[in-house]
Parts: sequence; structure tokens; C-alpha cells
Amino acid sequence: MRDQQREKVIQSVTWGLGGIFVLLGFGLMAMVLVGAWPTLAEPHALARLLSPTWDPMRDQWGLLPFLLGTAVVTCLALAIVVPLALATGISISRMLPWSLRPQAVRLLAALTAIPSVVFGWWGLETVVPAVRILGGQAGFSLLAAAIVLALMLWPTLGFLFAEALMKVPRSYVEASAALGASDDQTLVRILIPSAWPQLMNAFLVAVARGLGETVAVQMVIGGQVAMPAGLLSPGATLTTQLLTDATLFPPGTRGHAALDAMALALLAAMGLLVRLSARWQGQP
Amino acid sequence: MAPTIRTEHLSVSYHRTPVLHQISLEAAGGEVLALIGPSGCGKSTFLRALNRLVEETPGARVEGRVYLGNMNIYAPSVDVTQLRRRVGMVFQAPNPFPFSIFDNVAYGPRLHGVTDAGELRRIVERSLQEAALWDEVRGKLRRPALTLSGGQQQRLCIARALAVDPEVLLLDEPTAALDPLSTEKIEELIANLRGRYTIVMVTHNLRQAARISDRTAFFAEGRLVEVGWTRQMFTAPQDPRTEQYLTGRYQP
Amino acid sequence: MHHLAFFVMLGAVLVMAGLLLDVVREGLPHLTWQFLTSAPKERGEGGGIGPEIVNTIVMVGGAMIVTAPLGLLVGMSQVEWRPPHAVVSVFDQVRATWLSIPSVVLGFLVYRVAIAWWHWPLSVVTGVLALCVMNWPMMVSVAVTALRNVPATYREASWALGATRSQTVRRVVLPAALGELINGWGWAMARLAGESAALIMTAGLNVSTHWSAWGPGETLAVYIWYVRTEGYGARGSGVAAATALTLMLLIALILWVSGRLSDWRQHPGR
Repeated sequence: MRDQQREKVIQSVTWGLGGIFVLLGFGLMAMVLVGAWPTLAEPHALARLLSPTWDPMRDQWGLLPFLLGTAVVTCLALAIVVPLALATGISISRMLPWSLRPQAVRLLAALTAIPSVVFGWWGLETVVPAVRILGGQAGFSLLAAAIVLALMLWPTLGFLFAEALMKVPRSYVEASAALGASDDQTLVRILIPSAWPQLMNAFLVAVARGLGETVAVQMVIGGQVAMPAGLLSPGATLTTQLLTDATLFPPGTRGHAALDAMALALLAAMGLLVRLSARWQGQP
Repeated sequence: MAPTIRTEHLSVSYHRTPVLHQISLEAAGGEVLALIGPSGCGKSTFLRALNRLVEETPGARVEGRVYLGNMNIYAPSVDVTQLRRRVGMVFQAPNPFPFSIFDNVAYGPRLHGVTDAGELRRIVERSLQEAALWDEVRGKLRRPALTLSGGQQQRLCIARALAVDPEVLLLDEPTAALDPLSTEKIEELIANLRGRYTIVMVTHNLRQAARISDRTAFFAEGRLVEVGWTRQMFTAPQDPRTEQYLTGRYQP
Repeated sequence: MHHLAFFVMLGAVLVMAGLLLDVVREGLPHLTWQFLTSAPKERGEGGGIGPEIVNTIVMVGGAMIVTAPLGLLVGMSQVEWRPPHAVVSVFDQVRATWLSIPSVVLGFLVYRVAIAWWHWPLSVVTGVLALCVMNWPMMVSVAVTALRNVPATYREASWALGATRSQTVRRVVLPAALGELINGWGWAMARLAGESAALIMTAGLNVSTHWSAWGPGETLAVYIWYVRTEGYGARGSGVAAATALTLMLLIALILWVSGRLSDWRQHPGR
């Protein structure tokens, strides 16, 4: 009987902590929503938030340059990294000798642990000067940010793609080969379709990391708050602007609320990705 | 003397789907009762109702009564941990813990408060001897249990169950995952344990039931179809469904 | 198509190798004992990263000591003392969403609460708080995954011997899950050591000569960022590379040790 009482106590303690965890999670999201409320509650909120002008001196808080910056940098980085990572996944899971495959996967996993600030440093050393030579401008640009981000995402996405392809049962591959399919046919018709849910999930992970990355992008993007004129022009993203302005506007000011609106936009995008990923895992 | 274990109108359902209907069945003290029947007929659930392990499955509901000796094990005053000490269980696939051989067998006694090293050693040795594994593992008690062969692992699991001095042993297809030689050893072991423990054993192997059980119960679709002396049931079954099953012609 | 893939991968590998080589080539000449032990200097020769190394270790360690047990307990609440299905599903969604929040947003929230509302200074403690907010859902995920990977048959065997739930967790489930837990903890520590965005806002951009928990808490990752963006000095790039090299070696050490410990837990006797 005393045993049973003790069990009840232990269960209550862990459930209580679980409850605190869930409440705090909701609390974080609520804080962003409440913080952004002043920008959402005013008339023509959407039009003001989506305006292209961010000018704190004139009380203009348009987020369009940052939304655009985030969208362009992330999409461009993904356009670069997805083929690279897919090639990596295919090479590791299909071409490397069997004995090297685990090592290659482990190496990629280790590369994912390189801090993003190191990629930012490399971007300043290598990518920005290269873009400067190619484009003739300062070099700090959306393009430089996308290239840095792409290299940063490569180990993660390559690792996840390789894992996904290696999880396809060997019997499928053997059955396909036994029917006379070439390696390429087996890849396109058997491997990629069977691994599709995992491949999509890996892609969503990369999207989320890309959207959320801050310092590596901030170091090379130039930090210009006007609408970018092109890929070679400097710009800013939601995360980089949040980093540079966080300590600038104290809580209670319009600027602080605008930063919360940026955070809210990021949270909304992440929430969408989480839902999509849950769908790919077959959960409602 | 090993106690009888007896169910009265025992019904079990998972998430409102009934899996066992009104089973009334008794295993007399010291006998070996074999449970046979097609897959999914509720034999394993029945076994798990006898030590209340069924309650650990979310959504399970148990009705009716189960008596161990003359104690209703589903009475609110019963301590489940004490009950499970008296009713040991061995599972279908060998499931030793990822510890050493010694720690596996000593796990139960330690749970129940035995801390004296000499006492533990005695219990471990006795249990391993009873499970006919002692000669093979003597001097290797500190090796990881997972280095043993499948058959040895299963005998280790039996030793682990015996180490807490149970009165009843529940065996859930104990040889399903083993090769013929290991199966033979386990059957020999069960024959030796008969009399000291009341044994209820689920098996898919009809010959095994015929070889080692005193009585046999035939389950189909969650109901008890027939129970009787094993020799009698295998030669002259009363129910047509039993006969169909024994001759391999049963269609649910 | 396979061969094309191989060459494309080779290209990516070469670029990545170039990055690593750059770090080593530029960083190694600066990497002296004096550099590792002395305090940074804005001007002139002879600055180092000693306080940053200490801060990185203390802050990552502090955040782990707080969140690893909390994460384990919360993970156990969901796996070992399983609440109804609907609760688990809400819990999983909160965990996934929290985990997806960019660290810069979490840093921003911690900045608002701890620094703007509570008037905490930019400090080691505030930084640890930010790392904790980042790391708690990570620790919960590590725990949930490790516990769910413990075969259900272990639990059943233990219950069948008369063990209670908490006895089963302590004596069977945790020992069986420990290898995977250690591995997950190692990766989480590597992530925390590399974090910069959240710490820039909460732990500050400098160090004090007399270390204190309420003193400024610049870490290695933040220092790299600072030197290359806000700091000045002709040697900026080399100092940043040497710091990056140090940080990467520290992370490699963390991963190596945790990997070894984890292997040893999972395959004893090897």
C-alpha cells in the first residue's frame, strides 16, 4: 500500500513537470502574440505590416523587406543545397564501398555540429569577396547569404537524405535488379518513391533551419533595411533584423512590437512546417 | 503445495472490443495446463489476466474474478506487486535485461528487498540450477546475458522468474522462438518443475501440449471451447471444433 | 546519373574541406598557450580567449545540469507514466513547435523578460537561462526517443516480477536507455556550444577580469561573431579563425567523449 502511494506521488511529480513544460511552451508562443498585438490591432494592420518601408524615425514599420529577404535567401539556398545533398545521399547510399558508408554518414553528422558562426566567418573570408569580384558591388548580398546558408545546410540535408535512402529495404532493390532494372531505373522508380516521406521530412527540416538561421546570414547579408534591388544587393531577413534591433527598442515601444511581429511571422512559418512534417509522418 | 488458480466468468476487452468472453477455467495445484487455439483467440490475454499484466495495456478492461488459492486477485485490497511475486511469467521471445547473467536473476530478489550478497548468490545459484542452466553458466555470471544463445536466454528468463519463489508459472509460448534442441531442453525443464509449481502454458505446438501437459484447454474466438485431460482430448475430443483444430481443418 | 551524383558530391566535399582548411590555415598560427589563457585585447598584440573558453564551458554545463534532469523527467511523464492519448498528442505538438522556434526568437523573449522586465544584467546567468529555454525541449526529445526505444518486453518482464513502475524505470529502463541518452546529450551540448544569436542578446559581448556569475558572459561563438562584425583590429580574421578552431576542437571533444561513453554503455565488454 505504501508502495502504491509512493508511485502516485512520483507519477504526480512527473505529470506536474510535464504540465509546466506544456504551459511554458504555450506561454512562449503567447508572449510573441501578445507582444505583436499592437501592430495587429491597429487599422489597416496588414497593409502597414506588408509595406516596403522600415523607417523607425518616421514611425514606419513595414516588414516586407525582411519577409522578402527571408524568402529569397531561404529559397535560393535550398535551390543550391537540395541537388548537392541529394547527390550526396545517392553517392553515400549507392556508390561508396559498403565499408565506407557508415564512416561517411558519421563524418557528415560530425560536420552538422560546426557552429553557424564559423560559416559566417568563412562567408566573410571567401564568399563576399568572390561575389564582389563577380558582381562589382560590395559583395554583402542576398546571394552571398544564400551561398553561405547552402553550405551550412549541406551536411544536415545530405545526412538525412543518405539515412532515408539507406533505410529502404534491400529486398526492394534486389527485387528491382532481379527484374532487369538498371541502377538508375532502380533509383528513380524504387528508391526515391519508397523513401519519399523521409526525404520530404528531411527537406522540411532544412527549410526550418534555413528560415531560423541568424548569425551566418547576418554576417554576410549587409543589413540593409530598404527593399533589395536584386540578388547582388544587400538586404536583411526577419532573423537578422531581430538580432540587430532587439536591444534597440525597449519593450512597450512600437519598434519592439514590430520585432514581435517578425517573431510571429517566423513562428507561423515554423508552425506550418511542423504540421506539414506531422502529415508526412502519417499523423493527423 | 502449489495453489490452484481459477477464473470465474473472466472477460477482457481492449478499447471496448471484447477479446475474452466469460472464461471459467481452473488449473489445479501442481498441474501443467496447456492452452491451445488459433492465433488471436485470446490465449495470451487470458494468461496476462492471471497476473494482472493485462492492466498495463492502455484501454484494457477486466470483468469477472480470478482466484489464486482462495484470494480474488482483482479485489481492491490486493497488492499487485505481491501478486506478481507469487505468479511468475515467461514470455514468448527470450527477454533478458541488458545486464549480466547474475543481475538478471538477482533482479527480482533485489526488488523485494534482498541485499545480502551471500543470500543473493544462493538464490541465483539455486534458481539457475532449477532452470537447468547452472552447469552452462557457472563461472560466467558476470557476462552480459545477451551473449547467451536463444535457448539459454529463455532458461535464464525462467530462472529469473523462479528467483522470487513464485507458486504459479505462466509460460507464453516459451519455445516459439527456439530451435528444436533448445525446445527439448525447456520441455524437459517444465516436466521437472511440474508438481512444485502450478503451470499454465500457452503453446502453438500441439505435440508439445500433448507431451508435457496434464490437461489442455482449447480456445477459439475469445471463448473456452473445451477443457479436459490431455490424453483424452487428443484422442477423443468432445467438441467438433476441437477435432477440426487438432486435425488442421479448423476454419474460424 | 549515379556518376554525376558522385561528382556533384565531390564538389560539395571540396568546398567544405576548403572551409575547414581555411580555419586551420588562418587560425593555427595564432593558437598559442598564451592565446588560450589570456583575456582578449581590443588593440595591439597579445590578446587571448581564456575567459571565453571558461564562459563557454560554464554556460553549456550550467544549462545541461538544469535541463537534462528536467527533460528526462518530462520525457518519463510521457513514456513511462503515459497519460491519455490526447494529452500525449498535444504534448508532442508543443514539443515539436518549441523545438522549431529559432534561437534568435527565444533569445529575444528571454531578453525581454529577464533583462527588460526583471532588470537582470547581460550576464552568464542570463545566458544560461536563454540556453535552458533553448535546450529544454531538446532534452525532452532526447529522453522521449531514448525511452521509446527501450523494448516494451523489458518493462513487461520487470512488472511480471512484481516491480512497480518507478522501480522498473530506475532499474531497467534507465540503464537500458542510458547509452542513447548520453549520445543525445552530447549532440545537444555541441549545439549549445555553437549557439551565438540568443547569447548576443542575453550574455553580452565582453568579459570581465574578475569572473562572476552576474558578470558579462561572452562565449567563444559570440566572440567570433563580435570580432568579425563589431570589433576592430587588423588581426580580426586570424583571431576569429583561431577562436573558431578552438571552438570546433572543443565540440569535437564533447562529441568524441559522449560517443565513446555511449558506445561503452550500449556494447559493454568491447
